[in-house]
Amino acid sequence: MNGVEQALIGGVDGGTAILIPALGELIGERSGVVNLGTEGCMLAGALAAFDAGTTTGSAWVGVLVGAAAGASFGLLHAWMTVIRRADQLASGLVVWFLALGVTSVFGVSYINKSVVPLPTLAVPGLSRIPWAGPILFKHDALVYLGYLLVALVWVVLYRTRIGLTLRATGERPEVVTATGGHPVRIQILAVTLGAALAGIGGAQLSVGYVDNWFNDMTSGYGFVAVAVVLFAAWRPAMVLLGAYLFGVALATASVVQAHGVAINQYLLDALPYLVTLTALVAVARRGSRQAPEGLRRALTHSV
Amino acid sequence: MTLTSDRTETETPAENPPETTPPAAGGRVLGLVGGTIGLRRLGVALGVYLACLAVFALVVISKGADPLGVANSMVHSAFLGTGSIQQLLLRSVPIVLAALAVAIPARAGLVNVGGEGQLIVGAVAATGVGVAVGHAVPGPLSWLLMALAGAAAGGLWAGISGILRTSLGANEAVTTLLLNFVANDLMLYLIYQPWKDPNSSGQPQSRPLAAQAQLPYILGHWLNLAMIVTGVAAVGALLLLKRTGWGFGLRVVGGNPEGGRRAGLPVNRLLLSSMVVGGAFAGLGGMLNLAGTEFQLRPDITLTFGYVAFLASWLGRHDPVKVVAASILFSAIALGGNGLQLGYGLDGSVVDILLGLIVVAPLVLAKNRRKAI
Repeated sequence: MNGVEQALIGGVDGGTAILIPALGELIGERSGVVNLGTEGCMLAGALAAFDAGTTTGSAWVGVLVGAAAGASFGLLHAWMTVIRRADQLASGLVVWFLALGVTSVFGVSYINKSVVPLPTLAVPGLSRIPWAGPILFKHDALVYLGYLLVALVWVVLYRTRIGLTLRATGERPEVVTATGGHPVRIQILAVTLGAALAGIGGAQLSVGYVDNWFNDMTSGYGFVAVAVVLFAAWRPAMVLLGAYLFGVALATASVVQAHGVAINQYLLDALPYLVTLTALVAVARRGSRQAPEGLRRALTHSV
Repeated sequence: MTLTSDRTETETPAENPPETTPPAAGGRVLGLVGGTIGLRRLGVALGVYLACLAVFALVVISKGADPLGVANSMVHSAFLGTGSIQQLLLRSVPIVLAALAVAIPARAGLVNVGGEGQLIVGAVAATGVGVAVGHAVPGPLSWLLMALAGAAAGGLWAGISGILRTSLGANEAVTTLLLNFVANDLMLYLIYQPWKDPNSSGQPQSRPLAAQAQLPYILGHWLNLAMIVTGVAAVGALLLLKRTGWGFGLRVVGGNPEGGRRAGLPVNRLLLSSMVVGGAFAGLGGMLNLAGTEFQLRPDITLTFGYVAFLASWLGRHDPVKVVAASILFSAIALGGNGLQLGYGLDGSVVDILLGLIVVAPLVLAKNRRKAI
């Protein structure tokens, strides 16, 4: 296995931890609510999954508990922003800070513990495709969940009535009200569901990819997920691209190091963030024009 | 428009001054309604704060510690020990300045979450200059050079996000956040490799500043020069925002960018300059933290101060005086967490929970919340 393959395999693993939260964030943003607390929901999901995974011995229970933990922080964000109409960006950061504090306090007892991770499942047949097989089809099940979610979110968003209502809520909530819908309920549901997906993304880190817990282990991935949604201009397929781009940049850093190339580790660590920033900037102008109407107000603070 | 009765007591910078004389016809009725809502809001505020304290107490209890003892310990380590107040003020230096770095762009409606990164690059630039010239030139000159370098670096760092916002429409909250991670990695690179102090064992750190380049205590060894500079900077921020055309322009743009544009204000220049000036404050904060407290770069030198400052600015509703007060309060809480590890086996970051909870109240009660759907 050469370095490129290693970077791509790692990119799919690490990219999944961005992809699932970013899809969740996309759902929330399509309803008109941005959640910088995605970072916090991931942290909560990561710790809760690790906790449940070590206690029950089943990483799968961990994933479910992680989703619930993410959702509960999402509910807090939904209460603040949708019901109390607090500033979305500030509320998200408060949610993150709360989750950072809670996970640092309760995570102390899990540092240096080990968990039985999610098993690697090679997809029969597909994983034998030369070169691409092991890169795409030899991972834990959450990676495949990520593939499925991209398709599912696309279908629901563009081909179902629920998706239409969701998009309408983000663009023109008054139209939803006029047609007998409940924008407030839809936003609360969208934010909470998005946060649950962020929790699963956190779980992918702690019981799927890194198989460990340490303080602040998401190190900004949740913020990257929000950036990826902006980069993707709210389109699921582009979210997939953006998330894997970050994942590959992340994996490249560690592969380069493993091959003993004399570049400072911390310069390499900055690479994924710079890649994300560059990608975001490259499409920013076109992307911001495509923002859901309600979201644009929240992002630019203009009335 | 929002209902008149829904904007009674708290003033927000982004809005028109509160109506002193309500329209004659329904004036009394509106006033009455306003009063009732005021009481209700007070009730909600009290409820939210009590709920916050209850949640914090629950966390403390669930870790097996006594909440009253914890409260006592926090007050003691923040205010009562020998030199505590001095420690508190010195510790609040970077938080106050980074909070002003949030408040200034917030006037123009920008969300600067990059205080952390701006503090870091300020400290990095100050270290570069301080280590290079600290031994060679007299103290005051190296202080000045370090301060200029720190402020310039912070302003530049925030300016990146400012330019990305004004020229490309990239959301500044997201870009400042990402740049925080870049700044931290940059600093780690420097202290692990080129700037590594060869004489230090254990945790890598940069060479320390020469003694003459460190900010001194004056007035009977009580006041550190860093505190005085911070005070002057805070007054400067207040004057800039409240007494200059620039500050007024920021408020106009923050309230209604389109209106500002139509009135002929250079909206983009105002937005960008608010980021640069804000970043310069944080950069100066990073320099003062380095030259007044730390004396050398080390990992975790900022300890999430930049984010604490962000919360403080929202607690103070981006009003300079209140922001400074909120920053000092938050520094006290952060300092109060110090004794908890030893005394109660609680991780120091338990205070982060309290900080976050405290800001929930002003957020959910703010007057300039988004309009109802």
